[in-house]
Amino acid sequence: MQIVIILIESIIVGLSVGFAVGVGAARMFNAPTVQAVGAFRTLGEMNSAEGDPAAHFSFGLGFFFNAWASVVGAGAFTQDITHRVIPNWAASILLLKNRNVEETVHNPKKMGIVSGILGALLVPFLNVTSASIPASLQVTAVKVLVPAADTLINMVMPILFWLAAIDAGRRSGLFGTVFGGIAAMIMGNAVPGVVLGILVGKGVDDLGWTRITRVILISTILLFVISGFFRGFDLEMLKSFHLGVPTWLNDMHSAIVPK
Amino acid sequence: MQDDVKDLEHAKSFWYADWSFPIIVGLLSMGVFAGTSMYVNYGVGAFNEVAIVAMLKAGLTGKSFGPAAAFGASFLFARILEGSLVGILDLGGAILTGVGIGIPAIFLSFGWEAPVKNFPLALLTGLIIGILIGLIIYFVRKFTIGQSNATFGADVMMGAGNETGRFLGPLIIISATAASIPIGIGATVGAALFYAWKKPIPGGAILGAMLMGFFFPIAV
Repeated sequence: MQIVIILIESIIVGLSVGFAVGVGAARMFNAPTVQAVGAFRTLGEMNSAEGDPAAHFSFGLGFFFNAWASVVGAGAFTQDITHRVIPNWAASILLLKNRNVEETVHNPKKMGIVSGILGALLVPFLNVTSASIPASLQVTAVKVLVPAADTLINMVMPILFWLAAIDAGRRSGLFGTVFGGIAAMIMGNAVPGVVLGILVGKGVDDLGWTRITRVILISTILLFVISGFFRGFDLEMLKSFHLGVPTWLNDMHSAIVPK
Repeated sequence: MQDDVKDLEHAKSFWYADWSFPIIVGLLSMGVFAGTSMYVNYGVGAFNEVAIVAMLKAGLTGKSFGPAAAFGASFLFARILEGSLVGILDLGGAILTGVGIGIPAIFLSFGWEAPVKNFPLALLTGLIIGILIGLIIYFVRKFTIGQSNATFGADVMMGAGNETGRFLGPLIIISATAASIPIGIGATVGAALFYAWKKPIPGGAILGAMLMGFFFPIAV
């Protein structure tokens, strides 16, 4: 009986997540004029398949084995199901019929429907199958794809965005460098900082210092301050400089962050 | 002419418009939050990395929900601001970690078990949270970026994003050669074949690596 409940709940979960992931991913290709939900890595990886159905499918397949193993072992899907498997498989299915990415992968309606169906199949499958997958496939996927993807996300993407910011002009280069360095320290990855640097720099290039660009700059700084605080970066920094942590700051942390 | 039609379509249709964004985030959060509910009840179905889910598990097994709550909530906050400025709300940070781990941990630390443990209630709670997040982003956008015609360097970002993809193929081959010699050979041959067939090389590299890894498994 429990298995039936898991199956039904999984279909509901898979359908809603799959549909939204598909729409969000297709909208990414139309950002920032269209507000999207997804990830820069998904965007980069989907572009790297260059509209080839086999490339999309095999990229998703590698991470599918990894995710499957993780569900069997720990009950966690890994973020790859939403970031890689569903969008890439949906793209691969759509591209089989029509190789024009603008009419298929970039179309939120088609991506949403196909991804919804995929989600409704994948999530129940992953949740219900407790039988194990060949361990050799899982190990290969982990040893090959994870280091490659890590290098892509932690080194290649920050550097390419950084160089693009520098080439785009003095303002975006300067803001990109400063925010990129800060983001690498606080958030662990420079990409969000460099992107915000490009945003502020190019915004000021296009519009000058208007109310809008000032609001964006202030919210960017606020973003760094607040995420730094929540991650305890202020405490870490004081300790690294061999300075004492004031009691009021410690109290503030323990008051705001629930223990 | 065609551009005008496309612009009109973008402004009005559900699939492209900003007004529909809260609904999409709502559906996404509904599923992810309910997935966490399934994890709490049955031990399967959380949409996140093992390490992050482990923080929630620590709370469930009697330790503190604090780390999961703080980690998830700070991610959510940062990503909402970033998402509205950049145009892409980060799925992993905002929804999977923020809504899927942070908010359930906060609820459970307050002792509000029903919205997390009861599946229909979890669907509803997730939906409401997602719509709220979508609305915040909608309004932040409306009062900042939406008011101007500047591109804010979108072309620069897209260019860099496209360039990133080209690195993946060689990176996969390099990491395959580090895994083992058979896997390295599989990845190299697969990539070369795909290149010769005018297909993107990451696909060939992965398939070649997996095939050889199946016949010549590497020790864990």
